[in-house]
Amino acid sequence: MSSNQWEIGPIFRALMRNKVGAILIAIQIAVTMTIVVNSIFIILERAQRIERDSGIDEVNSFYLTTTGFGENFDPKSTAFNDLELIRNTPGVLDAIQINAIPVSGSGWSMSFQTEPGEEKETQGGAIYMVDEHAIDALDLEVIAGENFLPIDVRFRQPGVRDWPDNVLITKVLAESLFPDTPYQNVVGKTIYISQTEPMIVKGIVDKIQAPWVGWDDLEHTVLTPEITGFESNRYYVRAQAGQRDAIMPVIEEALASSNKQRIIRGMRTVQETRERSYRGDTAMIKILSTTMVILTIVTGLGIVGLASFSVNRRKKQIGTRRALGASQGSIVRYFMIENFLISTVGVSLGAALTVILNMLLVEMFSLNALDWYFVPAGMIVLWVVGQLAVFGPAKKAATIPPAMATRTV
Amino acid sequence: MLTMTDVKKVFRTDLIETHALRDFNLQVDEGEFVAVTGPSGSGKTTFLNIAGLLETFEGGTYQLDGQNVSHLNDRQRSQLRNEKIGFIFQSFNLIPDLNLFDNVDVPLRYRGFKRNERKKRIEESLELVGLANRMKHLPSQLSGGQQQRVAIARALAGNPRFLLADEPTGNLDTKMALSVLELLKQINQQGTTIVMVTHDQHLASQAKRNIYVRDGQVSEMSGIAEPAHIEMHQAAIG
Repeated sequence: MSSNQWEIGPIFRALMRNKVGAILIAIQIAVTMTIVVNSIFIILERAQRIERDSGIDEVNSFYLTTTGFGENFDPKSTAFNDLELIRNTPGVLDAIQINAIPVSGSGWSMSFQTEPGEEKETQGGAIYMVDEHAIDALDLEVIAGENFLPIDVRFRQPGVRDWPDNVLITKVLAESLFPDTPYQNVVGKTIYISQTEPMIVKGIVDKIQAPWVGWDDLEHTVLTPEITGFESNRYYVRAQAGQRDAIMPVIEEALASSNKQRIIRGMRTVQETRERSYRGDTAMIKILSTTMVILTIVTGLGIVGLASFSVNRRKKQIGTRRALGASQGSIVRYFMIENFLISTVGVSLGAALTVILNMLLVEMFSLNALDWYFVPAGMIVLWVVGQLAVFGPAKKAATIPPAMATRTV
Repeated sequence: MLTMTDVKKVFRTDLIETHALRDFNLQVDEGEFVAVTGPSGSGKTTFLNIAGLLETFEGGTYQLDGQNVSHLNDRQRSQLRNEKIGFIFQSFNLIPDLNLFDNVDVPLRYRGFKRNERKKRIEESLELVGLANRMKHLPSQLSGGQQQRVAIARALAGNPRFLLADEPTGNLDTKMALSVLELLKQINQQGTTIVMVTHDQHLASQAKRNIYVRDGQVSEMSGIAEPAHIEMHQAAIG
């Protein structure tokens, strides 16, 4: 086919004489692209956030809180008895007492530094107070150094301010504290908590997230070997695969009846906790997806409407073109090219608006800057949407018979 | 040039069949200037549509420039229209959004001519109809007679073997009609075959040969139509 038959010049000049409808559609395309591209970018970012691996066995785990209230309530013996009871329950893989739950939104954090003293560079880290069972209960791996021994685990009374001598830290925290040292070599090094209190890194664990999903240093985590004697304590239980739902009521019942001096409350799976923590992100994804789909459909319908109107208005012209030698394909091509030109104006304007909106979002809501390829990808998508939308009316135009040219309508 | 033998065309609705053409026979030789007249509903426009490959027909044969067109598909018919036939319509059928240059360019692009070839042909044909200096004007900036001249230029630009004119002066006043007719005669003298459908007897009388169509069939005459027919027709159109 000769390129002469593409008629881009005449189509463009004819469009320039009927600008209003075309400009409105181009603006609609531009706005749609702006919103769709920024939405997709935000959705992908949120989806990536949600999909981050917490490092623990979420699917098989749950936790509960026990709160003592009786006069004779003894936190220490209760903790040891409870742990023994839970660990011996059939279906339990392992269990620990822990002060905070990963991904849950609440926990403890402290600052750590590699040199003692004030005004030194520090790294924040979430603290999980656990015993030597944590590795199995949380499904972690000690990738350098060693796990705690039972002898390392101390009993922490309320009001105690100091910290155990040995800790496990995550690989990410090890690398943040000692950026020039391979993480394996961080084992045995001293770090300082509360500015001056030394702790020795006994081992490095692969990965466990802190409780706060919005925190930049989400994988800065420290495990301290302690069983706590507070009024309220949490037990974290990892069930054998598929046993979680079955053993939850069993353990709740067993704990409640084993010691009447306390109540059991807040039993919840880790999966549910994750869903709660990411509820805002999930809602945002749903809202943006719905907006995007509706906008794209409305724009598609706008294109169908404009093209259909234009076909009906130009029936005689189309018949004349057919009489003068246009094939049906030429007529389809005419409308496709016309739409392509309108879309091109729309997506070019859209590209600029997309970047501007993204800059505003970065400025106002501290979002990340758009990756460059989102813009051309958005342009291509809107081009394709336009071509799909115009195809129906264009096919209809091609069925207008050449004899329309001689009708005196 | 154009030979129709026993051509039939039937329009069907759920309730009725209308025989627009029945056993339509006509031969037009190269270089002729034929006027086709007849009352409204006689089948003139159907004849024109079939002759111009704008419509298909049911029976008989039609040979255009030696080629049997009965079994051509839509694409082949489009191509043949483009190459062999120039159309002139009653209401000019110029594309209002395109200037004169682009209007004349329309069939040439479908023909696949290169840019320079098209430019040369457009300029020549607009020159021929006396509108070369108004190439950048829109149709709406011209009088009716000038618009029809542009349509003639568009019809001629592709060097067709014959011109099909559908009431070419129907929308023009007498003076403009005469000038368009003179132009058609001039074109015919240069060798282009012309078939013109009209109900204007004066116009028809200027053609070399007159065909009278009635009830979908040809009754040929060489001179002016019988006065009775004219009266009938004029009464019919009021």
